[in-house]
Amino acid sequence: MNACAGVFAVSCSREQTTGAQTLQRERQLNEFLAEVERRALRIAEIAVRDRDEALDLVQNAMLKLARNYGKRPSEEWTPLFYRILQNGIRDWHRRQFVRNKVMVIFGRGSRAEPDYDPIAAAPDPGGRTPDETLQTQQAIEKLEQALAALPTRQREAFMLRMFEGLNVAATATAMTCSQGSVKTHYSRAVHALREALGEHW
Amino acid sequence: MNTPTDDKGLEEGAKALFDESVARLDAATLSKLNQGRQAAIAELVDETPARQWIRWMPATGVVAAAVVAIVVMQGPAEVDVPIASDSTMTDFEILIGEDALEMIEELEFYSWIDLADLESTDNVG
Repeated sequence: MNACAGVFAVSCSREQTTGAQTLQRERQLNEFLAEVERRALRIAEIAVRDRDEALDLVQNAMLKLARNYGKRPSEEWTPLFYRILQNGIRDWHRRQFVRNKVMVIFGRGSRAEPDYDPIAAAPDPGGRTPDETLQTQQAIEKLEQALAALPTRQREAFMLRMFEGLNVAATATAMTCSQGSVKTHYSRAVHALREALGEHW
Repeated sequence: MNTPTDDKGLEEGAKALFDESVARLDAATLSKLNQGRQAAIAELVDETPARQWIRWMPATGVVAAAVVAIVVMQGPAEVDVPIASDSTMTDFEILIGEDALEMIEELEFYSWIDLADLESTDNVG
């Protein structure tokens, strides 16, 4: 009887430990995702120029991170999350490319960037004069256009390094390339942005 | 020639604008992000052994289908093929023998011999 009680106690203790670990993992993941989700959304939005598509990409990246890497140390999550997101963005561009080709074949032409209007999409922030708001929004729009015009790898390197604040090693992991490539892409991106935005900055 | 200071200004300006755009995200978008995050966390919690097994189900199904397909494709090869009997083999050997062609050419002669044998037997009887 005592032996049964002992086994039961050990079993309960293990379950409690596992439950506590799961809860802690859940809390860590929640904090991590809450920390990165907004910037990730904007990074995706700049890359695909569509907020709904960007939301889908970010949500998909969050699901894949939790499903495939949820048990990995939390320090590894940032580069892994952005690797998943960047892969998703690249796949999205491939699908768009194929879709546009098919549309051209069927005579419907390509969907040009179009309906996306950052000014209309932006919420009313309040607390600023309309002129200030407009100027800031125009600057954001210019920046987004310049970023969108960059080659994919340069844009990725710049946004991950500058907007997300990843170091060179983490950016290389996220981009699945060498650290030297990250430095090259980043340097070229800065020069290209300097040329594109020179008059505004 | 741009100086590092110029580049730093550009980087800081871009970062400030980006942060500004992040801060401007509207409530509806934030709500959708929150929903996505909760779905992802639920995915982490639901990682039970049963769920892990369910994840392998499609692969298991494909493997099972492949095994069945292989068995079905190999089935006809196992159908019993009539095995030649001894007598058939003997006939075959006669046919491919060296004398076979000569026998066929003189078939009328052998028929006549058979008839003659029969007649002589009848006469004796």
